[in-house]
Parts: sequence; structure tokens; C-alpha cells
Amino acid sequence: MEQGSKTRRQSAARTSSVSEQEGRYVYCVAQGDEEISLGAIGIEGHEVYTIVHNDLCALIHDCPTQPYQSADAEVATAWVLAHHLVVEAAWKRWGTVLPLTFNTIITATERSAEENLVQWLETEYDSLKGRLEILTGKAEYGVQVSWDPAVVARKVAEASTEIKKLEEEIGSKPRGLAYMYRQKLEKLLKKEMEVRAEKEFKDLYGRLSRCMDDIHVEKTKKAERERQMLMNLSCLVSAERYPDLEAELEVISQMEGYFVRLAGPLPPYSFC
Amino acid sequence: METMARPHATLVDLLDRVLDRGVVINADIIISLAGVPLIGVNLRAALAGMETMLKYGVMQEWDQRIRGQELEPKETLRASAMVEKEVPITTALPTYQARRTKDD
Repeated sequence: MEQGSKTRRQSAARTSSVSEQEGRYVYCVAQGDEEISLGAIGIEGHEVYTIVHNDLCALIHDCPTQPYQSADAEVATAWVLAHHLVVEAAWKRWGTVLPLTFNTIITATERSAEENLVQWLETEYDSLKGRLEILTGKAEYGVQVSWDPAVVARKVAEASTEIKKLEEEIGSKPRGLAYMYRQKLEKLLKKEMEVRAEKEFKDLYGRLSRCMDDIHVEKTKKAERERQMLMNLSCLVSAERYPDLEAELEVISQMEGYFVRLAGPLPPYSFC
Repeated sequence: METMARPHATLVDLLDRVLDRGVVINADIIISLAGVPLIGVNLRAALAGMETMLKYGVMQEWDQRIRGQELEPKETLRASAMVEKEVPITTALPTYQARRTKDD
């Protein structure tokens, strides 16, 4: 791959000349034993290189022992994006990665930061290897299913005899009473919608879980425009199962009033 | 009815995951601010603001510009994030190809 020729020795020489860079920002752990530099692809253009223990490597850059903090959204977002792109680059190169949470910086104790990192890789070796094995050949996807409440409300109203009856009665009532009936109707409709949403969630979850290796149910995001989010999933999906997931989502997206959003493939952030 | 959106990831998808997920090192070898989560309150607030701005399209141009820059060398993500064509997972998933063709 690009810029893979710089050696660790050069990195080490640079480190000792810049003594304040004694922290090690860790992007991810990968299954690989190459001591290489991936070039200046890190946060704020830092050089990203590997620290190796056995057949595992951690991708890091040298930094001061201070967390990345900023009140500037553009700056903060660029950092997060850079973190992701390094993880992505490692994912492409080595096949499987365990991303670290943003802002994981190893510090020196009685040992140097680098020694601490290697020791961590050593202590956690079996656990890290096990997790990497589980994630091999799989990617994370975000799946969000929303519906148009107006369309669903119409269908719910059509299917409920109780609601239909109330609707008919409203027409024949005097104004004050009609108002009360309308309140009652809205309350009933809301309740029926909730029941429907719960039923739909269970149904969709059952159908989708058959095409996935692992699922996290995430909080639904706030409704926007005519869409109310019904389900928000982070899914771990193997390459073999992906076509099934896509086919199932295609079917759901064809249902009247339903919207499906699929994000990915992403490195397995939520499953490590 | 609406055709399903093609696979791609937005900044919001990434923010949620990069900040809240991933391996956490539980040891005294990582820096922390007296038990306060490393992602500072101000950074979190800034990013929440960014999500809102992106949602309402305020930062769209910036988003595209910065992503265009950052994504330049990474063909696959570029394809999956920006181009309106389906990216089959078989090509989007990492392979060991790179390892075999590496230059050292």
C-alpha cells in the first residue's frame, strides 16, 4: 500500500528528539506483525505507525499527554473523521480491526508509553485475538427504519372498528360534544399507533435478525419531517449474509409509508 | 413508498460510533481527567452542535468539502460515501490483497 516503507527506527529517532510527544494516541488494534508507517494520515496530519506484539499491532501516533479538546465543531469533527479514516485504512490493509474509542492516549508511568502499550497488548492478547477472530469477514451497518405517521394512522384507523365508530358518531354530535369525542379519538389513535409500533418492531427485528451475526438496538433519533423512527440498529453482518439483509430491507422499503436507511460498511465499532 | 437508500455513511453515523464505541482500555496507563470521560464536555457539545447543523443542511458544503479532501486517497470509502451507486460488500470489505501487493 502507499507509503509503507518508513521503518520504526526512524519513528523512534524522531520521538526521542521531541520529548514532549510522550503520549501515544491509539487508533485501533489489527491482526498484523509489520512494523511500518502508514504515513501522515492521522489526526492533524500526524504520522501513523504500528507497534507490534507477536502477530498483533496497534496503530498509533505520538502526541502530548493531553486529550483532544475543542469547542470548535469543525475542528472536533475533523479529528473524529481523521480517527475513522485511520481505522478504515487499517481495516482495508489488515482485514480485521478493533477500533479504540476516540481520545485513547497511552501515557508513561514508571515505564514509557510505548512499553505500557506493548504490555497492554501482551496482557490482553488472548482477549484481543478472540475478538478479532469473531469479527473476521464481518462489517458493521447502521439500519434505520422509519414510517410516515400520517400513512400509518390512516391504516390503523381503517383497521379499528372502535375508531371507525367514534368517527361516525362525531358527525352527529353537537359542537361541544364533538370536541370531546375528537379528543377521545385522538387518544385512542395514539394508543393504537403505539401498539402497532411495538408489533412492527418485533416483526421487523425478527426478520432482520436472521440476516445478521449480532445486533445492538440503539435509541431512535428524533422524528424529522414526515418520518418517525421506528427502529435504529447497529448490525454486525458477514459478507455471506449481506445479500439477505439487503433483500430484506428492500422488501421493507417497498411497504407503504416505510423508509429504510442503510449506512455502511463500517469497521465494527459497536462490536468490540 | 420509497426506494431504499444505497449504502453510505454520514458524519452523524461516524460521530456516534467513533465517540461512544470501540475498545476501552481500563487501566491507569491512559490519560483521564480525574475520572471525567476523556471526551471533554466542550468537545461533546461542539459535536452535538455539528450534528444539528448537518441535519439542517447548514454545514453541508463544509461537510462535502472536508470529506472530499480527507477521502481523496481512499477509493472504496469515497465510492461508498459519495457516489450514488451500489457498493457490493464483497468489494467494500477489506481483503488481504493489500498485504500481498505491499511494497516492502
